[in-house]
Amino acid sequence: MDHLTPLFARLFSLDSVYGLTGLVLLVFGGLSWRERRLGNGAFWIILGLIFLFGGVLPHWVTGLLVVAMVVLDGTGRVGRRGEPSAATATPRPTPAGARIFWPVLAIPLFTILVALLFRWLGMDGNRGALVGLGFGGVVAMLIAKLVTGGDLRTMMNEGRRLNESMGAVSILPQLLASLGVVFTAAQVGDLLAAGVRHLVSADQLFLLVLANCLGMALFTMVMGNSFAAFPVLASGVLVPLLIRPYGVDPALAAIITLTAGSSGTLLTPMAANFNIVPAALLNLRDQYGVIRYQLPYALALWSFHVLWLWWSIRSGRP
Amino acid sequence: MERQRELKMELPDLLRLSGIGLVLIGMRRRWRTTVVVVAAALVTGLLAGLPLFTAEGPWKPLVGQLPGWVTRDGQAGIINLLGKAFADNRLMTLFILTLPAIGLAERYGLQEEAGRLIRRVRAATVGRLLLVYQGFRILHGALGIRLNGHPSFVRPLIAPMALGAAGPHVPPVAEAERIRAATAAAENYGNFYGQNLSPVQAGVLLVFGVMQGLGIPVNVWDLVRHTTPVVGASVLLAMIQFWWLDRRLRRHGGRD
Repeated sequence: MDHLTPLFARLFSLDSVYGLTGLVLLVFGGLSWRERRLGNGAFWIILGLIFLFGGVLPHWVTGLLVVAMVVLDGTGRVGRRGEPSAATATPRPTPAGARIFWPVLAIPLFTILVALLFRWLGMDGNRGALVGLGFGGVVAMLIAKLVTGGDLRTMMNEGRRLNESMGAVSILPQLLASLGVVFTAAQVGDLLAAGVRHLVSADQLFLLVLANCLGMALFTMVMGNSFAAFPVLASGVLVPLLIRPYGVDPALAAIITLTAGSSGTLLTPMAANFNIVPAALLNLRDQYGVIRYQLPYALALWSFHVLWLWWSIRSGRP
Repeated sequence: MERQRELKMELPDLLRLSGIGLVLIGMRRRWRTTVVVVAAALVTGLLAGLPLFTAEGPWKPLVGQLPGWVTRDGQAGIINLLGKAFADNRLMTLFILTLPAIGLAERYGLQEEAGRLIRRVRAATVGRLLLVYQGFRILHGALGIRLNGHPSFVRPLIAPMALGAAGPHVPPVAEAERIRAATAAAENYGNFYGQNLSPVQAGVLLVFGVMQGLGIPVNVWDLVRHTTPVVGASVLLAMIQFWWLDRRLRRHGGRD
């Protein structure tokens, strides 16, 4: 077993799944390029190159590539819709029945199996889940091909359709995490922390928890996105005022803080996709009908977050 | 405990916060989100006195020849920080590798098949149907499947089923409106809180990446473990709210 581990580790590494993702992105980009949708093509090809070579390129080159992608998106060259999809136009061939679930179920199954295998080999379980996700995607492609009898070209075209239906938004988490890093370097978090400290003294645990969860919900409501609010709150309030001084389990505090923001998402018209568009889809007379229905639920669940986080820290749960 | 510091915000400090202001304004005005985020990084960094590029590689000999905000000795550049963080956080976008398989499965009737599965559920009341649907969406999340269910499930399937479950008569307009709003809410409840049950969904990976960037590494499985009480509470509160809806419909609806 011991001599196998290094080989195993190299094959099942994050770098190899980054490489695979990069290749898929190059294919997506190439397909767009062939249809003369050059902006789209360039965007996904650049992202593919970052996936393939992000580990070896000088950081300033990667940074400039990121700026180039954002310029492409900002000038409206990255479409959000796929072509009037062939998927709906052509009648589908023989339906695969319930077997159609197999490829979709293979992905989580593989993710968990590889994570367990990593743990068993004494390797990093975080990495195991991610590597499992990557290889799960590949295994799912094989299973999907077997179950449906579709060809590789159709598969890549359908993958591209899904990818382009999300558009540039799919790199947003990566960009937001980067913004968090720049905020940290510019010591923005320290300023926010100083602001909160001015209002709440450092030994009033309940008020600090309240400030943390309220800040998260309010930022989310204004930005319409809890993912954008989290890096700001984490660097400004959560880490300096709760995690460092109180020694609370950072995993617990962080994930609770994130979902405290989700209550904000339930209440804001800024999260149009979740609240306003559905009201239109369902022909509600009141465009805020969904938000109104969610209001008592969001307030109750947000209060649970405050109490749960406060109680967890106070009772010193591991 | 730490001594409470005097709050003195001087002009340069306030300028550093302008990045947050830019994000707030940009998101409200619906500028392209990607542009807002990168612009906020650049503005914040420059106003905090960081140069664009670290003085290394080809930039080293240019120190002194170019203005200080382009490159300067001894300070990390904004573009370098951006590039490094973007490369370090590639793990957040690995889901792209799952798209070809899911896309092909969709083409061969994945959604229709899932719809058939849901339709088989015989829920006696509107509230119970909504709870089952919320559970179905939590399952999606736990399996790592990303989906906005409003157009694919709620509108074509769940909303008509819920109206049907309300009784043999067409419910009064106000009640029908409430039922439809509740179907959209069930989708959001299941989606928002269920997705953190998977270690490879965007929310968990964002927290993982941000905390690592702040020097406090966390384990993705611990994040999943600690989100379960929240999922429990989200289901419990939904049970109460949907039970309340059923009660209301029994009183006002056309059932008796």
